[in-house]
Amino acid sequence: MTDWTALATRSRRARQTRLGVLTLFLTLVSIPVAVPYIWMVMIAFTARRGMAETGTLWPALLVIVAGLAVYGLVLWRSGRERTALVAGALTGLGLGLVLLGNDLHLNNFRFMVNANIIEDLKGQATAGGQFPWVWEAFFNSLILAGSQTIIVVTVSTLAAYYLSRFSFRGRSAFLQSLLVLQAFPAITLVIPIFLIVFWVGLLNTLYAPILVLTALELPFFIFIMKGFFDAVPWDIEMSAMTDGASRRQAFWMVVLPQVRVGMIAIGVFAFIKGWEEYVFVNGLRTGNSYWVMSTYLYYVRQDVMGVDYGMVAAVAVLYVLPALVLYLFCQKYLTQMTLGGVKG
Amino acid sequence: MARVDLHALTKTWDKATAVAGIDLSIDDGEFVAILGPSGCGKSTTLFLLAGVYLPSSGDILFDGTRVNEVEARHRNVGIVFQSYALYPNMSVLQNILFPTRFQKTPDAERRAREMGELVQITELLDRRPSELSGGQQQRVALARALIKRPNLLLLDEPLSNLDATLRLTMRAEIRRLTRDLGVTTILVTHDQLEATTMADRVVCMNAGRIEQVGTAEDLYMRPETTFVAGFIGSPPINLIPLPTPGVDAQGQTQPQTLGLRPEMLHAGESGLPLQIDHVEVMGRETLYSGTGPNGALRFLEPTAQPRWSMGDRVHLDFAPADSILFDAAGRRLPDATARRTE
Repeated sequence: MTDWTALATRSRRARQTRLGVLTLFLTLVSIPVAVPYIWMVMIAFTARRGMAETGTLWPALLVIVAGLAVYGLVLWRSGRERTALVAGALTGLGLGLVLLGNDLHLNNFRFMVNANIIEDLKGQATAGGQFPWVWEAFFNSLILAGSQTIIVVTVSTLAAYYLSRFSFRGRSAFLQSLLVLQAFPAITLVIPIFLIVFWVGLLNTLYAPILVLTALELPFFIFIMKGFFDAVPWDIEMSAMTDGASRRQAFWMVVLPQVRVGMIAIGVFAFIKGWEEYVFVNGLRTGNSYWVMSTYLYYVRQDVMGVDYGMVAAVAVLYVLPALVLYLFCQKYLTQMTLGGVKG
Repeated sequence: MARVDLHALTKTWDKATAVAGIDLSIDDGEFVAILGPSGCGKSTTLFLLAGVYLPSSGDILFDGTRVNEVEARHRNVGIVFQSYALYPNMSVLQNILFPTRFQKTPDAERRAREMGELVQITELLDRRPSELSGGQQQRVALARALIKRPNLLLLDEPLSNLDATLRLTMRAEIRRLTRDLGVTTILVTHDQLEATTMADRVVCMNAGRIEQVGTAEDLYMRPETTFVAGFIGSPPINLIPLPTPGVDAQGQTQPQTLGLRPEMLHAGESGLPLQIDHVEVMGRETLYSGTGPNGALRFLEPTAQPRWSMGDRVHLDFAPADSILFDAAGRRLPDATARRTE
């Protein structure tokens, strides 16, 4: 006789163990990722003496753990997602105010309103009026990331459509070279790219990093977009054309709406790539001709007369914010993306 | 509403020949089915007619006018794909309205609703294609193909994704629609039942060529080639090789193959010997298969109760008029002077 109850118990226990071990493992590996960010935020909002203090980090972690614990407990007891979320947030907020309320301040963010922050800190002599207001760097970064995103999305969409739908001499070689190009580290190209940019006369302009980054990103994004186009059935396009649409109309009205997810996904990636870029931004200027957020952060961090880590962290928080917001809004599109196109 | 003529129509890809020179005339308002196994060039023919592919040689004529180079969007052809090819980013109503966006259609929306009524999907007009069942998607595709009053309606395996009962109703419904609208229709299918039940005429294709054009009865009773004989009919025909020489003493072509439909064979005292090795009860009748000196044979008995079982030996007799004779090239010989093969 088979003891069904015993088997069921065993299977239930195995499932619970598996889930527990998995949760524990994921929690452990996320600690080294999450803690530095939490620390950065805590320094930005609490540091008073310009030091990288840990004093407020531990209470902050305690607040987060308590909030998560309340969230988990309420979810387990009531099963209502919204209630649990509110309860966890309220716990965290209340505990945070009690433990950290007196330490929080916005003084480290004074660079956002003071256009001459470095001169004020270190004296006219050191900076000599070369250092910009943070918003200048911020908007340069926006222009760099934004225009590069627009070019990358447009070009890779059109190129990928052609590669997906038309056969031409050298098509497979072209596709292979798209992948091979990814195998070379872009950093090895810094010197030739610098020379080309110099000869073309774009050195010390924002055009240089825009064009260079676009060129470096295109192969991979074309490849990804091709996967999305491959997933759109031929029938639909033929149907649109027999319904009276020209090829271009069929592309606009029927095919493009179906690869929207892919366009958003590569757009987000291209934007974040442009937003975080440092090497090709710093490498393609010889003085302080233009500033972007990464070079601004680097300069703030430079140890001339002792670093104000409170401000460095505050700049970093401002720097991370747009990418984070973008990512949160587009998260559902990004998770639909795989190398082969749209997931079922 | 148009008459369609194909003259020596050919389509070759890099190496393969998909359509190897076909001639066909389709009358205004006629319903023609192109029937053949997969890869026989029937879908290519359809896309040549739609204007999606350009012919390699030969001509396509609509009402006597050559349309070879006319683009798909100007041919005024409606097409229903096997996958239905509905636009997933649009609602059902927008799908039906799509063709009217490219030609001035007065009262487009009212017309779309009429089409919706015609194919009985009025309550679904605001839904997305992904929320519809296969049969409903099929109706939407039909409405979309018909809204612009096409010269020609092309159906590419339209029923193969539907379940058996739905297929039966849709068969009748498509036939009713095309008859009411009087639209010239070409149906491409590999399902002989679909072709023979819906079409006025059936075109049987194989390897890029037309094997035979005729009514369902022509194809069944008087197949021009052994291919048609073997392809049409289920259970399939028995093709028995004959031991005669290709040409007789007078130089007359001699039959090389004897074709006998399973229902034309009757078990009796004399005739072709057979040992039964498989029995299938099919409802109204029973199918027996077996082997004998003439190879594998099948015959049908019109009784649900099996009369024989595995291992039984029987003799099969037939009326000479029921047999079909083919020459060495597989062509049917005109006067069927049947002979016994004992």
